[in-house]
Amino acid sequence: MKGALSPGIPPVANHFANRILQSGPGYIDTVLRNRGQRVACIVAALICFFLSVAFNGFEWLSGTPWHAAVNFSYQLVVIAGFVLAWFLLSYYLKQRPIGPLKTLWTTLLLALVAAAVIRLMVGITAAENVEGNPAVLGFEYDTGVPLTFATVVKMHVITSLRALLAFYLLLRFQDLVLFKRTKQSQRNWYLMLVFMGIASLLTILRDPAEDPGIVQGVAFTLVLILMLLNAFRVSWIVFLSFRAKAAGVGFSILLILLLFASLSPGGILPAHFMYIRHASYPLDQFTLAALAFGLLYCVTSFLFLIFHLPTTGDFRRKAGEITAMYSLTNLVNQAFDPDKLHLTITKTPVDTGTAQMSWLAIADERSGSLRPQVVAAWKTTTEDVETMVDVAALYEELATRREPVILDEAPADRRIRGKPGDPIGTMLMTPLITRDKLLGGLFVAKDVVQGFEQDDVESISVYAAQAAIALDNARLFEEQLERERLSRELDIAREVQQRLLPHDLPEMQGLAVAASSIPAYEVGGDYYDFLKLDEARLAFIIADVSGKGTSAAFYMAELQGIFRSTTRMAPSPADFLEQANLALSSALERHVFVSVIYGVIDVRKGELTLARAGHCPAILISREGTGRLIRPQGLGLGLDRGRRFRDVLEEEHIPLQPGDIITVYTDGVVESRNNQGTEYGYERLLEALKTHRKKEASALHEALLSDLHDYLGRTEYDDDMTLVVLKWDGAKNHTKRSAT
Amino acid sequence: MGRREKPHETIGNMSNFSVGFRAEAHIRILDLKGELDAHTVSELEAALQKCREDKNHHIIVNGAHLQYISSAGLGVFMAYIEEMREAGGDIKIAGLQANVYNIFDLLGFPLLFDIVKAEEEAIRKFDADRKDKNDS
Repeated sequence: MKGALSPGIPPVANHFANRILQSGPGYIDTVLRNRGQRVACIVAALICFFLSVAFNGFEWLSGTPWHAAVNFSYQLVVIAGFVLAWFLLSYYLKQRPIGPLKTLWTTLLLALVAAAVIRLMVGITAAENVEGNPAVLGFEYDTGVPLTFATVVKMHVITSLRALLAFYLLLRFQDLVLFKRTKQSQRNWYLMLVFMGIASLLTILRDPAEDPGIVQGVAFTLVLILMLLNAFRVSWIVFLSFRAKAAGVGFSILLILLLFASLSPGGILPAHFMYIRHASYPLDQFTLAALAFGLLYCVTSFLFLIFHLPTTGDFRRKAGEITAMYSLTNLVNQAFDPDKLHLTITKTPVDTGTAQMSWLAIADERSGSLRPQVVAAWKTTTEDVETMVDVAALYEELATRREPVILDEAPADRRIRGKPGDPIGTMLMTPLITRDKLLGGLFVAKDVVQGFEQDDVESISVYAAQAAIALDNARLFEEQLERERLSRELDIAREVQQRLLPHDLPEMQGLAVAASSIPAYEVGGDYYDFLKLDEARLAFIIADVSGKGTSAAFYMAELQGIFRSTTRMAPSPADFLEQANLALSSALERHVFVSVIYGVIDVRKGELTLARAGHCPAILISREGTGRLIRPQGLGLGLDRGRRFRDVLEEEHIPLQPGDIITVYTDGVVESRNNQGTEYGYERLLEALKTHRKKEASALHEALLSDLHDYLGRTEYDDDMTLVVLKWDGAKNHTKRSAT
Repeated sequence: MGRREKPHETIGNMSNFSVGFRAEAHIRILDLKGELDAHTVSELEAALQKCREDKNHHIIVNGAHLQYISSAGLGVFMAYIEEMREAGGDIKIAGLQANVYNIFDLLGFPLLFDIVKAEEEAIRKFDADRKDKNDS
């Protein structure tokens, strides 16, 4: 602060101001934070005060003015005392920050008290005035020496009071001026204080009666410019409530009147300037500048308060909208219940007062429909919305334009079927877009035409962007849940499937059986089973339920039940399939069907009877290497629930030769694709069967699987792969049997 | 109806399956492209759902660019055929490639569905059906 007190020209002053900003006030605060140093400062200030009182006291006693050099020291002492007082006051006021309104009325109160006290004191002087020369006021006219001790006391009390008021005003108003401060506003403020100090100090040795010099004139002009700059920093006003603003108007007008009355020469405090000038001319100038700034600031505050009174409601509303949006961003983290989220998104524009009714439409291909659905409505109902407007047509425009659209004259729009008196006057529709995807549209409406302004569009757009993110998050969360649920489901399905498959293979004389089913990651509905009908006949089944997961496993279980219970009663494969179709049709969902091959091998007769319900054809390979596909006609189970199933169903009776191999499988085998995307296919399966036909059933089975693995080049499959091999060696067994 | 051919009407850009919409008089034509399996089946479902909502019951599914169909894909046709027929319409399937036709054939679909070689044939059949109805 010492540096700042030396006079300087504006660019240099700027430099100083910056230095003060960086270290000055902070440094003084650290000094005062120490209690001992604070007390020392108070004591020093008091000493300065009493020294100056003593100085004037001696002057009064001696009746002659002091030598000029002593007078100069006196001025320095007075100023030093008040500089210390300034920093002490600054320190204490910083400990107790108060709001704008309290600032105004405490200043007003202090000004009132000061004015009253000063008025009283000045009033007493009237008696001591020299007859016929009221201007002298207890000071010798030529020398300015106080004429009574009361004058000495008065001049110091009045000076202190006004300095206290001026300091309090500046320090309190500082918080108002620097509300929402920027580097620039802060610099302007401190520059003003510094220039006030400099301009006042320039008067230190000057007689008040002299003309102010050019330097002083320039300095006070600069102060005036800076005052004007600072006086327009009144942004604290906009954040006040209506009542606070009204109170502010009252306080500021009282302060204006009081300050004006106190400062004007013909006002309520006539001639009190004299006392202060005699005590310290620089201090008089400084406090005068400070109070003048207070007056100016009160005037601008008063005007801005008046101007902002009518817009308070709008500002509050805007602030309310912002708060509501903030609450939505919070909600994003909680509401993973889509219905709740939809409703919250829809409600907010109405609750904040932006619109009178609102609804949310979503077109979601995952829901199985491309038609936009009104998923939530507020201050109206989804049914009403459907009747009032053509949701699909409006949504289509939104999907094409992908930006907010205002229908200012809604009743004139053909897509709004409202009759006169319907509550839609203006409509604003905003797309909810995130990650370049249109998730839905937010529609808000008012009952008057041209009801939305540009700022409404902007705030709704910002809001819509938030809402889109919230929706997207909710979806991602839902998908994640779905994935986890699916994965748990798949575990169950896999377990069910493995339990439903036979643990032991049947043992029949003359017939070797090998079978396996490899579940895919997403379990399909593959099933195979065997049942001995009697000593000579074995029934086998292979089936593939369409679809995957638990529902497939469920139908598979059902099929197993049918197989285990019906097989013995069904005279032929065709009968079995017909009964299975009847039994399953009532249980199957419409889009689900089951492909089946059901066969019976009579090991004694060497005959295969087989019927096919939409399944991949069975393959028969002879010992000589001829192969054929067995493909009697037949619909998949569940495809037709009436007579047609039976009508088209064929049964094939095939006499077997010893060494014949019957292979049944599911489409997972032939439709498996290698990395080039080529299917394993029937040809390759036939070739492999022919190559390995001489092997035992289990070895053949193994060879087929390894051929398949080699072809695919991986061990993960897209679909279940089930392969059942039956090898009839009738001739050999027959001899065996006849031998025993 | 021509506006239905706008590019954003094609759905299913995430996978290697897509459904395109076309219209021919009163007939809605769905062009299937790519592989129709358990993962992509919802797109065909959505398309048929839209036809149903638009009260379009005369549907031709053009499978000229359909490379593969799984049992789940076949199931969708089963889910809609009955309703379309009850409403006086039909789903006709046209232009299938040989390997895809084989999958339809194994399950016996040709016994239940009108599966024809070319789209034009399907359109002719729809027209003939209408004539019959008008005559009777």
